[in-house]
Amino acid sequence: MSTIVYSARRILTMNPGQPFATHVAVRDGHILGAGSIESLKGWGKFELDERFKDRVILPGFVEGHSHAYEGGVWKFPYVGYFDRVSPEGKRSPGLKNIGEVVTALQAYEKTMPRDGSTLLAWGFDPIYFGGRRMDLADLDKVSTDRPVVIIHSNFHVLNANTPVFAKANITRSTNVHGIVKDAGGEPTGELQEITAKYMAYRAAGIELAAVLSDEPAIRGFAKVAQLAGVTTATDLHNELPESTVEAYLRATSSEDFPVRLLPAFAAGSVPPEQGIARLQALMKRNNDKLRFQLVKIVTDGSIQGLSARMRWPGYYDGTPNGVWNIGPDDIDRLLLAYHRAGFQVHIHTNGDEASEVAIEAVERALAAAPRWDHRHTLQHAQMADAGQFRRMKALGMCANLFANHLFYWGDIHYAKTLGPERAERMDACATALATGVPFAIHCDAPVTPISPLFTAWCAVNRLTASGRTLGEAEKISVADALRAITLGAAYTLKLDEELGSIDVGKRADFAILEDDPLEVAPEKLKDVPVWGTVLGGRVFEAPKR
Amino acid sequence: MIPFTVIGGFLGAGKTTLLNRLLAGGTGRRFAVLVNDFGALDIDGALIAAHGGDTISLANGCLCCTIGDSLVTTLLALLERPERFDHIVVEASGVADPGRIADIAVIEPRLMRDGVIVVVDAAEVRMRAADRRVGDTVTRQLAAADLLLLNKLDLAQDLPTLRHWLSTHSSAPILEAARAEVPIDLLFGLDRHGAPGGSDTANAFKSWSYEWPEPVARSVLLAMLRDAPAGVLRAKGILRFADTVDRRSVVHMVGRRIDVDEQGPWIEGQASRLVLLGTRAVLDWAQRGNTCRDV
Ligand SMILES: [Zn+2]
Ligand SMILES: [Zn+2]
Repeated sequence: MSTIVYSARRILTMNPGQPFATHVAVRDGHILGAGSIESLKGWGKFELDERFKDRVILPGFVEGHSHAYEGGVWKFPYVGYFDRVSPEGKRSPGLKNIGEVVTALQAYEKTMPRDGSTLLAWGFDPIYFGGRRMDLADLDKVSTDRPVVIIHSNFHVLNANTPVFAKANITRSTNVHGIVKDAGGEPTGELQEITAKYMAYRAAGIELAAVLSDEPAIRGFAKVAQLAGVTTATDLHNELPESTVEAYLRATSSEDFPVRLLPAFAAGSVPPEQGIARLQALMKRNNDKLRFQLVKIVTDGSIQGLSARMRWPGYYDGTPNGVWNIGPDDIDRLLLAYHRAGFQVHIHTNGDEASEVAIEAVERALAAAPRWDHRHTLQHAQMADAGQFRRMKALGMCANLFANHLFYWGDIHYAKTLGPERAERMDACATALATGVPFAIHCDAPVTPISPLFTAWCAVNRLTASGRTLGEAEKISVADALRAITLGAAYTLKLDEELGSIDVGKRADFAILEDDPLEVAPEKLKDVPVWGTVLGGRVFEAPKR
Repeated sequence: MIPFTVIGGFLGAGKTTLLNRLLAGGTGRRFAVLVNDFGALDIDGALIAAHGGDTISLANGCLCCTIGDSLVTTLLALLERPERFDHIVVEASGVADPGRIADIAVIEPRLMRDGVIVVVDAAEVRMRAADRRVGDTVTRQLAAADLLLLNKLDLAQDLPTLRHWLSTHSSAPILEAARAEVPIDLLFGLDRHGAPGGSDTANAFKSWSYEWPEPVARSVLLAMLRDAPAGVLRAKGILRFADTVDRRSVVHMVGRRIDVDEQGPWIEGQASRLVLLGTRAVLDWAQRGNTCRDV
């Protein structure tokens, strides 16, 4: 029963009764107390650990919406526009034009065995290349022997080389939705939606799904999260096959696994009776670092993928309304079943029609089966307006807003998908605060990198990649943003009594920062270095860059 | 290449009823069927050879797989299986665009796009199509169809108006049924009608089906098909000809071409059945089917 007291330059507790402290005492993996060294002496003998004395301690960050295959994609080369940090802490530099992407792939190709196996890469994003798209000829420069498949950062579009197209017999006369053709009618090498998905799996082999969620992938994911100061992360949509469950259990049972993991069960994958029974059985296998308790329903697609379900007037550029993954009737049916069984349901809604349908489904579920403190949460809710937030508040719902979108796709939303007015009020953190809807902000890794300080920076500054401020009125303060990535996110996962603030009795989960996020300029928030984390009293130092 | 058919249609239209008919057998085809939910299927327990979690093998050679979270991986896993199937049928989800799913067969060399069948709930389709949240989903499904199965006919209110309304949303021929009772053979080898392309929708299509309890004279039946006016586009039938009463003769007409295959022994107690598809204008001619019985 040893006690360690950590000293710090400052501790930001998220506990309004005592927002700041200089020392925190830890015993048995839990917080014994925070305050001054004097205030902690009454607990008896302790060991003073001063390694954080020049650093700043926050509650460990909680990533309320991410996917564990962030850890799996690193088995493949990253070819994105922005720098990105791998699980090993290695920074992959962003590639700033198609030439750089091709050069990087050529170098990688030379390291591969000469067996005709597929070269798969990810993270590509041509929207920053001033209109120039990648084509077959670009990737034929990488190889004309082996299939080359480049998955875009949105995971819904890919580029391939001639061998891939030849094997699938795709020519100018192939009349299939999702094959992009140039003005002359020739396929360019770009594939979209189900055609893209099919081709990626076809080329890479169906074991792709397995390698994206095996034990090394889960460990890789935890590593990437830990490097960013995260101590609790979600894998927010998983069918939970036994192989994945075993992998979670093995990974989380080891001492050096650095995060608490919450998978969300993909409700659409099996009938609810089966899903409920499976989830109830899985909950018996929960441990300190693995918690089965969440359910996920995916309603529509994505705004930038042109598949969001929008209310009138729809897409700014006239694109027809998006598609339902799970339609309104099934949303009602699934939500009611899991609601009745006592589960908290996380509902993916990007477009405002999807949010409306989800809110009404919660309303009906509550009328049919009244329940306190369900905290059903809209995930993304990117287009939700003030009226929808008021309804969510009235129904006891939460929101997890996709703040990173403002930076990565804000310019596209402004110019093409939403238009100025709706783009400026998207991911409406200030409206959530004003209406009192409990909220978090998220990254949706691997769609964007996991880094809660970056996500907080997005919510505070609302800057797009081109530097436009997208909606002054929806900015929130640094203090509110820090709460959203700690206690706020914990609340949306029903973990707020256990973690999310530095308070007596809670888990000793900390993010250790090199600088004080309340003291740096708000536009520098994303640059505050993360020294590492503490999880249940165990110290995890991030490798030095 | 394995023929690949997608069955689409909104929730409750009767896709599962149709799938149950496929799996019940009697067609001699080994179907691999990808469904959303086993629970809704009504497979005769005596027919189940093996139940393996997300697959059910049937004694008649058919296989059922649940799609789970990913149609793409389920389909690719199916194509890796050692068994050979005569036909792969996918049940699209109630909100999916079945045309997009059928596109997979165009880019997969092991598959051949056979067609998109959209099951339509005669009583509800127009109400669904008017719904602001799902209307576009419903009309996209109709536009993707190569064949419309207008189901629950017994519950329909105003059939002529409904038929006309359908013809404004799809150029596909319409098969009419109550409980998805249609000759299975008519569902396969479809001509392309679904988008993209969108051919002329001015012609309303119609189907006629005939049943003869007694054996049919081969020459009369073939002459009838040969003389069919241009408006008859296709015919399919399973017949008991008077000259081969112990055999099952399958007649297939596309355009002017007529094929007759013998497929196994005649099953006692069944009636001969012929279904014609064509434009409404040739209705009168079709009445002639009755004459075959008199020979
Ligand atoms: Zn999502
Ligand atoms: Zn997600």
